[in-house]
Amino acid sequence: MLRSQLRRHPHTTASGAAHARVQNMVVFSVAGKRLAARTEEIGGVLPWPGTTAVPSDTPLVTSLVRHEESCLPVFDLAAKFNRTVREEESLCLIVKHVDGPLAICIDSQVPSLHVVPRSGVQYQSGLDPDIAGSCVAGDEQLPLINLATLGVASQRQA
Amino acid sequence: MGLRGQRAVTISSGQAVRFLVTLIGGSSVAFPAQWVRGIVMPASAGPNGLVTWAGVEYERTDLSARLKVVSKGVSSDTRLILYGNDERSRSFAVDKVVGLLDVEGALIHPLPPQFRGKERERLLGFFVGASFVALIANPLWVLELPLRAQTLEMFAIRFAESKAGESDSRLHVPMVGVDEAMSMSTSPVS
Repeated sequence: MLRSQLRRHPHTTASGAAHARVQNMVVFSVAGKRLAARTEEIGGVLPWPGTTAVPSDTPLVTSLVRHEESCLPVFDLAAKFNRTVREEESLCLIVKHVDGPLAICIDSQVPSLHVVPRSGVQYQSGLDPDIAGSCVAGDEQLPLINLATLGVASQRQA
Repeated sequence: MGLRGQRAVTISSGQAVRFLVTLIGGSSVAFPAQWVRGIVMPASAGPNGLVTWAGVEYERTDLSARLKVVSKGVSSDTRLILYGNDERSRSFAVDKVVGLLDVEGALIHPLPPQFRGKERERLLGFFVGASFVALIANPLWVLELPLRAQTLEMFAIRFAESKAGESDSRLHVPMVGVDEAMSMSTSPVS
């Protein structure tokens, strides 16, 4: 038992090293704007269920969508980029947000998975704390969005 | 008119909150029903907006404006809700009265933490019906009273203590559109 573990160990380490050299990304679009996000920040993609408006003072968080037995708050990512998404032709991206699951309305084009070399990811702190930097996925250079902390840092700055 | 639409979402834990469900603008807004003193036609208000009912004066508050919800305007469905406790009373207009619902505590969800603004004072949370999501108005905020934590606990009722017809003599609610509310997966209040 111990031997087999010992034998497996170098293999796992090698695999881990390989993982460390790449980053799994999901590419999606919001009202035509293409974005990349880390795969581990995404909980799933569903048909857009339609929203219930919430009279809210929180910027960009003004509605709920039904999800399983409850509802998720919706972050209006399109509005953040001064765009409007057509809800009737869209998908619901479930985000693993630090404050709990969050929904984002994205375009109907199904998100694509990309394995991006670490060298293709540039982290940089710009004016927008929701943008982690950029990455090259396929032939595109795309903004890399911080889905897990969406709205948190920008509201702290405001 | 009785309370034919009254249902419990589930009765497993034995505690629930009774809500008056209304429509304001496009939103379903629910109020803990214990403080509902009456439901009257808009014509019951005097020229100054004051409603006097059962010897109590109800000062008007523009709840839709305070909630930042655009009302659909006065129609044949518009009602004034007379709302109050021992300290304060207010009247406010709603576009439609849906009905009364007993909702088990476990099915009442707080507003998600991503909502960080003043809406947390106005709304305690929500519950989900078959075809609607009802936002729960904070009754203390409605009456412009000091806010406190665990507000809904004041309104918790035990099904064992609730007798059939008990509320019927106290509060008669027009059952306009109650079919929608009744379509929640429910079992009758015992």
